[in-house]
Amino acid sequence: MEVSRRTFIKTTLIGGAGVSVFGFSLAPVYAQTQGLKIARTTETRSTCPYCSVSCGVIIHTLGDKAKNAIPQVVHVEGDPDHPINRGTLCPKGASLEQDIVNERRLLKPQVRRPGSDHWDDISWDDAVNEIARWTKKTRDETFIDKDKNGYTVNRLETIGWIGGCTDTNELNFLAVKTMRSMGVCYFETQARV
Amino acid sequence: MTEWWDKQIRRADELIPKANGSKELLTFYAQLLRAQKDVYDFLRSRQNWLPSGELEADLRMLSVALSGFLKIVERHGPAPLAAEAHELSQADAQTIAERMLSYWRSPSDIQFFEKAFLQPYLRWVADSGAKPVGREVSAGERYCPFCGGNPQVSFLQNKETTAESGNRDLICGTCLSSWEFRRVVCANCGEERPAKLGYFHSPEFDHIRIEACDTCKHYIKGIDLTRVGFAAPLVDEIDGAPLDLWAREHGYTKIELNLVGV
Repeated sequence: MEVSRRTFIKTTLIGGAGVSVFGFSLAPVYAQTQGLKIARTTETRSTCPYCSVSCGVIIHTLGDKAKNAIPQVVHVEGDPDHPINRGTLCPKGASLEQDIVNERRLLKPQVRRPGSDHWDDISWDDAVNEIARWTKKTRDETFIDKDKNGYTVNRLETIGWIGGCTDTNELNFLAVKTMRSMGVCYFETQARV
Repeated sequence: MTEWWDKQIRRADELIPKANGSKELLTFYAQLLRAQKDVYDFLRSRQNWLPSGELEADLRMLSVALSGFLKIVERHGPAPLAAEAHELSQADAQTIAERMLSYWRSPSDIQFFEKAFLQPYLRWVADSGAKPVGREVSAGERYCPFCGGNPQVSFLQNKETTAESGNRDLICGTCLSSWEFRRVVCANCGEERPAKLGYFHSPEFDHIRIEACDTCKHYIKGIDLTRVGFAAPLVDEIDGAPLDLWAREHGYTKIELNLVGV
């Protein structure tokens, strides 16, 4: 049976149906192919950000790579090839998809005023202005330039910073630069990876 | 290993009534599996004989099982295969030996009879602890570590008891052994960049997907046993033949054609 793979592919595609290399009619197979709804996903290996164990994860992203399409994360699972977790994840890591896709995620800043029992929406401009105003007021009132022995310390003990585990390197870099420039000493982040 | 053949046959019989476009392919494959099982059982039941792993030496014993195998293909196969089966049944021992040895030295997925007939032999070689000898095959992560064959299908299966996700294994198209393979890697060229690896899935075949590579434009079908645990990768792969045609229409070439030629 002298049929090359190239010839086979051609006979399969020309006219839609054709026969397989061993002589099977592919017409019914092709008919079913026409009704298939096919979606493309990408699997990307990454690292869970939640703790210092640094479990390997695989992130499944839906999208056909079209220019105007936004890829959508559809699933996150443990990486079975990762030597640390070998496919397993803790309950927090297993919910990682919800860190990325979550309808309850806050999309705008909110503020709870003194004495209030609820959160109010606030614009980004107003939020940034208020934060700047309160930061400056607090710093101006409580900044310590010298300790009781007269040594220069230039520290601010009334403001603290707590970072989250999913903060990026870039955010953490800016946070350190900003806080240290203001003299903030109480600086911590949950990022461990 | 006899149970392994029974499982494949059972799965094919289960899928045939439900199959749509691939019904004819599965019907033939179910009969082919029975013929292969007969060959395997014949070899396994020989007293005072074990395969050496050198086909030339084992061919004499193996040839005894050929006529029964050819009859089944002639009865159930499509016209071209039936005609070739008839032709082979009339051929002399030397012609048969030449064809088998040629495939043995340099395997090709379009040599149906050689591939289908030698699969149960190689299976028994593996099960009996021998090793194939005299094959000119490539070595490397993507080739079968036992016989050097190309992967036919991949499958995902939980190996860590508390894991939700599946480890990936490849099944050899030549000897039907399976070996571990990394998840996010092309089984043909070793591409690892996520943007170059596409996984195509259709709700009609919930546990089957096309694992394609945009670098080498090859693909392999993957069966997810974490979704359908009783699936048999080699059989379900044939049931998913419509996905093969879709992949080819989109410019991908299969790493190894299966025994129905898709």
